[in-house]
Amino acid sequence: MNASVPGTMPPASITFERVTVRYPGSPKNAVEEVSLGIAGGELVVLLGPSGCGKSTLLRTVNRLVALSGGRVLVGGNDVAETDPVELRRGIGYVIQAIGLFTNMNVGQNVAVVPSLLGWNASEIDARVDELLRLIGLDPAAYRQRRPRELSGGEAQRIGVARAIAARPRALLMDEPFGAVDVVVRTALQRELVRIVAELRTTTLFVTHDVEEAFRLADRIVVMRDGRIEQIAEPIELFEHPQTPYVRELVHAGDEVYRRYFMRGRELLRAK
Amino acid sequence: MSYLVEHPMRVGLLAAGHLELVGLALVVALALALPIGLFAARRPRLAPWLLGTLGAIYTIPSLALLAVLVQLFGLGFAPIFVALVVYAQFMLARNVVAGITGVERAQVDAAFGSGMSAGQVLWRVELPQAMPVLIGGVRIAAIAMIAIATLGGYVGGVGLGVLIFNGLTLHQPQMIVAGSLAVSALAILVDLLLRLAERYARA
Amino acid sequence: MITRRRAIALAAAAPLTARCAFDGSAIRVGSKNFTESFVIAEIYAQSLEAAGLRVERLFNLGSTQIAMAAMARGNIDLYPEYTGTALIDVLHLPPISDSRRAYAVVSRLFAQRYAITWLTPSPMNDSQALATTRAVAVSDRLSTLSDVARAAPHLRLATIQEFLARPDGLPGLQRFYGGFYFREARTYDIALKYQALIEGKADVASAFTTDGAIATDALVVLRDDRHFWSAYNVAPVVRAATLAARPQIAGILDAVSPAITDRAAQTMNAAVENLQQDPADVAGAFLRKRQNAIVRGAKS
Repeated sequence: MNASVPGTMPPASITFERVTVRYPGSPKNAVEEVSLGIAGGELVVLLGPSGCGKSTLLRTVNRLVALSGGRVLVGGNDVAETDPVELRRGIGYVIQAIGLFTNMNVGQNVAVVPSLLGWNASEIDARVDELLRLIGLDPAAYRQRRPRELSGGEAQRIGVARAIAARPRALLMDEPFGAVDVVVRTALQRELVRIVAELRTTTLFVTHDVEEAFRLADRIVVMRDGRIEQIAEPIELFEHPQTPYVRELVHAGDEVYRRYFMRGRELLRAK
Repeated sequence: MSYLVEHPMRVGLLAAGHLELVGLALVVALALALPIGLFAARRPRLAPWLLGTLGAIYTIPSLALLAVLVQLFGLGFAPIFVALVVYAQFMLARNVVAGITGVERAQVDAAFGSGMSAGQVLWRVELPQAMPVLIGGVRIAAIAMIAIATLGGYVGGVGLGVLIFNGLTLHQPQMIVAGSLAVSALAILVDLLLRLAERYARA
Repeated sequence: MITRRRAIALAAAAPLTARCAFDGSAIRVGSKNFTESFVIAEIYAQSLEAAGLRVERLFNLGSTQIAMAAMARGNIDLYPEYTGTALIDVLHLPPISDSRRAYAVVSRLFAQRYAITWLTPSPMNDSQALATTRAVAVSDRLSTLSDVARAAPHLRLATIQEFLARPDGLPGLQRFYGGFYFREARTYDIALKYQALIEGKADVASAFTTDGAIATDALVVLRDDRHFWSAYNVAPVVRAATLAARPQIAGILDAVSPAITDRAAQTMNAAVENLQQDPADVAGAFLRKRQNAIVRGAKS
């Protein structure tokens, strides 16, 4: 499986089999027996309040969090049997605080994973330019800039570009747009939907924002206290909530909310 | 003052010896303090104990430590060299810890998440960003070591301390003054150079 | 950034390797912690350097014990030692006032016991003494040590700590001269000892016969009429191993030792103590004067 050969691999499926995580010194499990299957190319949102285990579950995929029980499979392979460094180079990772490397400029940041994979200099340069254009930034203007010179929206876009630079088979995003203002957030969401559709990357997206979940998701996984409350397509959640919590979360039965959420979804996908 | 003017070669040679002693000790001390500091930085619960121990060692009066080292190594370059390396650990290791832990957590998280090995995270992200703090630690350590190295004149015939201790034995105040002035000048010069380096690293 | 750091590390490592390479070739000359020792050690060191040898100086060693320990460990290769000191403080033998016999004994025993070789001694005899002011010498009729023993009960002694402790210091002197006690014996810093005498705070002070301070008319050295004190001729003492590796050391130092006379020593000590000159400069001047004298002698 040569992840460094550009664009040859199909998007990976992600499977959680009875995944349990307990942080050392904690009285209860952060994630409790979660089983979930995500097909290649899907954009699945993990939705829930803070502390529900969604971020923890996300980070079991690239082994930033260790499992206490169960298995996680990416593209059918148990992640526990893959070298973690190799694994992570094949999976994109975007976090809310972005974490652009302040000792490097924008071009070097975006080039991180390709350079780790040993791409040659001209391949890297071409890819960096391509990515900057993909996220709507002029390569000539932005390549040499340093992270501190960027606006919130620009920084987050570059964070996404860095994550997808080496054409990963899966993309993990942990509340990536939480720190930017609403207008920028909508623009970023639109762009994400476009990029994910183009690259067909399997995407696992964590948020606590119900509206964001509705806008982006092919399917939503509602979580609470380390467990899954319900997995369903957005409209399904609205029409057939399975628990009182879900009902309350999505304002099921409230026609105004329903129209509002579905409208947001449409707008994001308008040409 | 007159001694400096009348014996520029002698003072110059002793100053060179002083710098050589401190320079070598600094290099070796850094080679030790980096792994120690990294070890402590990765273990937040252990770090205060480790740094506290080094700090306690730092408070041992230099003459006492030197006496022990002379027993082990005899007189000459070795005991003062070892003493300097030992004393420098506290300042250097502490700054390594401060520098490394001062790197934004999100960047370290993103670095690991991007598939860097621990060594690559250190080399490509943490160390470059820790540089200004590290150099600051080197600067502080260097100044302290220039001062402590005057004891090299007591046990090793090395450095500007020779002027000071000979001056004391021979009851020649101008030697003592010359030695002290030269040590101060050295310290000021080194401080200046390293401040420039620190500023350059911050850029 | 990476290559620059590596360059700095290499630049710093260079002197370390250089030092390791050079360390074996230097001859380490030691001295004890008083003026005369500095001066004579400098004479030895500069003579060796003039002959092209590399010298490292480890001066200001605290005491005879420290110097001998340093020799034993190889921290120093040679230093100036006195026959009397070697006899009494190192070998714990009774004093010998005959210079030649003293030298014979110490050189034989040092070679046997410590693998240390005594090179040619200097005529300079830095023996211990008691000194007084001209005024006190007249008023109390003191010219010999027997006089002092007699007048001791109303004399105040100014001295240094070592004199009170060493066997050939006050304890031995007291016993040898029939048992006497000073009215008071107070220790001073070496520099302030003569000061106390001159200011009238003390009547008698312990001294060394080559002290620069005595080379004045105001002070008088009292004669050791019963010959208590040992001969104290200075000579380079060298580790046998060092001498075997560098036999030329003997020739170089033997050539200069005869020139160190009592008068030369007093003058040099005075230059350092009274004129505040650097011992290295004083030794250098001595060697240059001698060199000129040799050249002049050769020409004539």
